[in-house]
Formats: sequence, C-alpha cells, structure tokens
Amino acid sequence: MRGEKQEDSAQIQGISPIWNWRTTFICAALLLLVGLLAISFGPIHLHFGEIIKTLLGMHGGLSGQDRTVLIDLRLPRALLAALVGAALATSGAVYQSVFRNPLADPYLLGAASGAGLGATIAITNAHGDVYSLLPIFSFIGGTLAVLTSFFISGKFFAEPQSLLLSGIAVGSFATAIQTYLQQRHSSSLRPVYSWILGELTVANWQIVTWSSIYILLSLGVLISISKQLDGLMLSDEESFSLGINPNRLRMIAVAAATLATATAVSASGLIGFVGIVVPHLVRGITHRVTNRNLLTVALAGAAFLVLADLGARTLLSPAELPIGVITAFVGAPFFLVVLRRRRTV
Amino acid sequence: MMISVRNLDLTINGKTILNDISLDIQPGLWSCLVGPNGAGKTTFLKVLLGSAPYSGSVKSDGVEVFRNHKRNVAFVPQQPQIPQGISVSEYVALGRSKRDGWGNESSQSREFIAKVLEQTNLYGMQRQQISQLSGGEMQRTLIARALAQEPDLILLDEPTSALDLHHQIEVLNNLQFLQKQGVTIISTMHDITLAAMYADRIIVMQEGRVLADGASSEIIHSPELRTAFDNRINVYTLDSGRPVVIARKDEKDEK
Repeated sequence: MRGEKQEDSAQIQGISPIWNWRTTFICAALLLLVGLLAISFGPIHLHFGEIIKTLLGMHGGLSGQDRTVLIDLRLPRALLAALVGAALATSGAVYQSVFRNPLADPYLLGAASGAGLGATIAITNAHGDVYSLLPIFSFIGGTLAVLTSFFISGKFFAEPQSLLLSGIAVGSFATAIQTYLQQRHSSSLRPVYSWILGELTVANWQIVTWSSIYILLSLGVLISISKQLDGLMLSDEESFSLGINPNRLRMIAVAAATLATATAVSASGLIGFVGIVVPHLVRGITHRVTNRNLLTVALAGAAFLVLADLGARTLLSPAELPIGVITAFVGAPFFLVVLRRRRTV
Repeated sequence: MMISVRNLDLTINGKTILNDISLDIQPGLWSCLVGPNGAGKTTFLKVLLGSAPYSGSVKSDGVEVFRNHKRNVAFVPQQPQIPQGISVSEYVALGRSKRDGWGNESSQSREFIAKVLEQTNLYGMQRQQISQLSGGEMQRTLIARALAQEPDLILLDEPTSALDLHHQIEVLNNLQFLQKQGVTIISTMHDITLAAMYADRIIVMQEGRVLADGASSEIIHSPELRTAFDNRINVYTLDSGRPVVIARKDEKDEK
C-alpha cells in the first residue's frame, strides 16, 4: 500500500506544474539590478548607496547637480525604458499567441507603423503640448492600421498568414505617408527622425506619467487574461469546448496589445526586436510556451530595454547610440536563429 | 447526455450546409457520421458542440446547445493547431481548465493527467515536444487532451485519418474504453468498415441531409449508404460475419 503511494507520488512528479514563479522572481531581481546600474552609470557616476538614500528620502543622499541628474534625467529615463520594454515584449508575446506565429511582433501587423504615422501627424501639426496628444494619435493610428489589416485580409482571424502579409502591406503604406509628411514639414524633420530611430533622450516625468497610465492599464488587462490566452493555442472548437469565446478573447488581447504598442512607440519611437527576442528568450529558458509567462515576459522586457539603454548611453560615451541600434544588433541575429530553428523542427 | 435535433438547418453565404436534420442521440452510445466529403459532417459536429450558428433546435438535456455552457463536451479536430514548442503534458493540461478554471490546475489534476497519459500510452513522453512526435503519438495526445477534460460527450472529427492501421485500432480502442465508462461519443469517419466495427450507430449523410440512421449492422448493408457514395462501394461479409466496405472501381475509371 505504501509502495503504491510512493509510486503515485512519483507519477505526479513526472507531470511538472505548468508554471512556476522562480523565473519571474529572477527577472524582477534582474530588473532591479539593471535599473540601479542604469541610474548609476553615465558621464557622471553616482554611488549606489547615495542613490538608495536619495530614493528613500534618507539623510546623506545626493544633492545639487547629482540629485538633478538622478531625479530629472536618469530615473525618468530608466522608468520609461522599463515601461516601453515591458509593453513591447508583452505585446509581442500576445501577438505570437493570438496569431499562432512565433515570428509575429507588433511591427509586423502594422500597429507600430500606424502608431508611428499617428505620432508623426501629431508632431508635424503640433501646436503646444504635443506629448499629451502623442499617445492618442499613436493609438488611433495603430488601431486603424490593425483594423485595415484585418479588413484587407478578409477573414477575421481565420487566416493568420494572410493577416500578417496584409499587416506588412499596411505598415509599408503608413511608413510611406509618414515619410511624405516629414518631407512636407521639413522644420520638424529632426525630432521625427530621432523619434523613428528610437530613443529615450526625451524622457521626462510628464512622458513617464502618461505612458505609464496606458501601458500599465493594457499590461494589467493582458496579464489578467493570460491564463485564458492559453486556450487560443488550441483550435477554435477546442477552446470553445473549454468555455472560451476565442474571437472575443482575441479582440480584447489585440486591443490591449495595440494600446501598449502604440503608447510605447509614441513615447520612444520605433525600437525593434524587443517583441520577438524577449518572449522567445523566456520560453527558451523556462521550456514553457504557456501565456502564464506574460508577467515574466514583461519584467524581462523591461530589464532588457533598461540594459540596452544603458549600452546606448555608455558604449560610445559621451556620444549616444540610438537604442534601436542596440536592440537590432542583438535582435537581428536572434531573429535568424529563431527562423533557422523553426525550419529544422 | 441526451441530444435532440429538430429541423436543423444551416446556411452559409446562401449555400445550404445542413438541411432539415431531425434525430435523437442517446447517452452512452457511439454514433458515427459517415458520408462523402462536403456532406456536412464536420459542420454537424460543430453545431452539436454549440460553436456554429444554426436554425431549428438542437437541445442537450433539454437546453439549446449554444446556451448550455455548463455541459462538458470535448472536441478533437481533424486538423489540430499545435503551438510550436509545447510539451505533451502542457498540452494535455489545457484540458483541465474546464474543471479547475484556467491556469488553476490542482495536484489532483496533475494526478489525473498522469493517469490519462498512461491510458493513452504517452506516459514517459510528457516532456517531449508534440512537434517531435509521430503521427500516431500526436493523435493520441489530442485524444489525451480531450480525456483530461473528463467529458460527458466527446466529438471527434476523423480521429483516425492519417494514421496507419495499427494506430487506428489503438486510438479507437481508447475511445471504446471511454465509452464503457459511460461517455457519449460522436465521431466522423471515412473508414466505414472501422465505423461499423466500433460504433453502435451509423448516420449516413449526403449534401447536408441524413439519408439513413440506425444500428451499424443494419445501415452498412442499406441501399442509402451506397447512394451516399454514388454506388461506388461494395460491402462484403467475412466468414466471421464482420462486414467490410471497399471502394469499387468501375470500367469507366480504367479508361
């Protein structure tokens, strides 16, 4: 009898829990570490101890210029990098799941290009406070681009591949209009170009505040439905039989992912490959494809972009590289490895 | 789970897919839908699941199927969507979500998953990626996911297509074991010989209509079955009394 019990226990051990939180805690710790590094390193080096004292409001913290560098420059920049990284990585993971395509990312569906066009329209027609309008314009642009892709592909979610192709076409079209607008408004060419290259130099508390509202809201929605998103890994009939309305769930997921992407794009421009690299990295490390990893993907995406921004600021110091260059430098080879592995499976 | 279908019609873009179907499906039986491609078998399964819109009435235990969200029905599709990189146990565990809620599988559920994997001869492969399995193992994984659901009714669309004979028998034996536990089974099958061997009842369909419906032993010799396949099948009876259906090759086919 006892022997049977031991055998049963061994059998259950063979079926691992679908998700454990160890990787999540590691990613959270990693984010804290790279965050601390990011606000410490730069042309002016700030000591960890003084940073922590300043952040906690304790006696003996930074003062004068050092305090200004920390509070007004590095902290909002690191926070924005974390927000944008989390948004792009989570949206990428969700798009890959919804469209059942490991190579899907928000940019392939035209959401980012549409958001880029919306942001360009806002910048080129700016009268006053442009940054409070950017997310609205970006979101409208991104949503319109995704809806147009759906409309062109004809079959709502039925043909993921044709949807991706129409997304590429819509993205190219939006980029063409964006380029035309830039040429027509040459006075605003420079801010638009630096925005396209992807940079976080514009980061300030105002941008951090509005982008955190949209991004945290959409990430909250995506993480709260992450368990149900696993149902979309099955055929529509199977997920229906498990109590899911697949099309409604996809609509919610795509809307939230589009809001996150559009906000990220409007805050920091087009930063590539985060949406592909990070979800695959988390899946590769955990050997799990479940969408329950979305919180972990968000934390890992935040840590990845904070680290990339640190590299962008310090590698050629005092000059600064666009962050998109760093992410593409890591992301492009990774993308090719994913493609190659996909062919051989 | 008693299912009553009355005057079922289904039209998509002006094309009639299901036409005036009325029948009852008794609980605990294995009913098999047979007929040529385009007969409406898969659509009928989707209607029984409650995922396809229809006119008429399809009631499960007295409630229209699209409203009856409490019933536990498993569906095994002919062309599955297998996410890249998913392991056998991760995939099978998805079936527990109806019982435990999404993402809340209990230790009892993991115990049950282990049992299901043993039952479907998949135990030991739980960490393997499904994309690396053979066709037979993959089909067993699909059925294991459905079994993990502990369904009252299981709908299977061509569960033995793309399997060799050995694996066809293995999968069908699994289903028969399930039926003995009281689960109602409705499947589509192209192999009518196997349908007659395993199913209690055969429903012959052609162009959205039910041509014949009855006990397998009777339907297999019926003229309606031949009609459904344009008289291009022959039915023989072996010495053991078991019927065998094979395709007929006409002289005009050889020209």
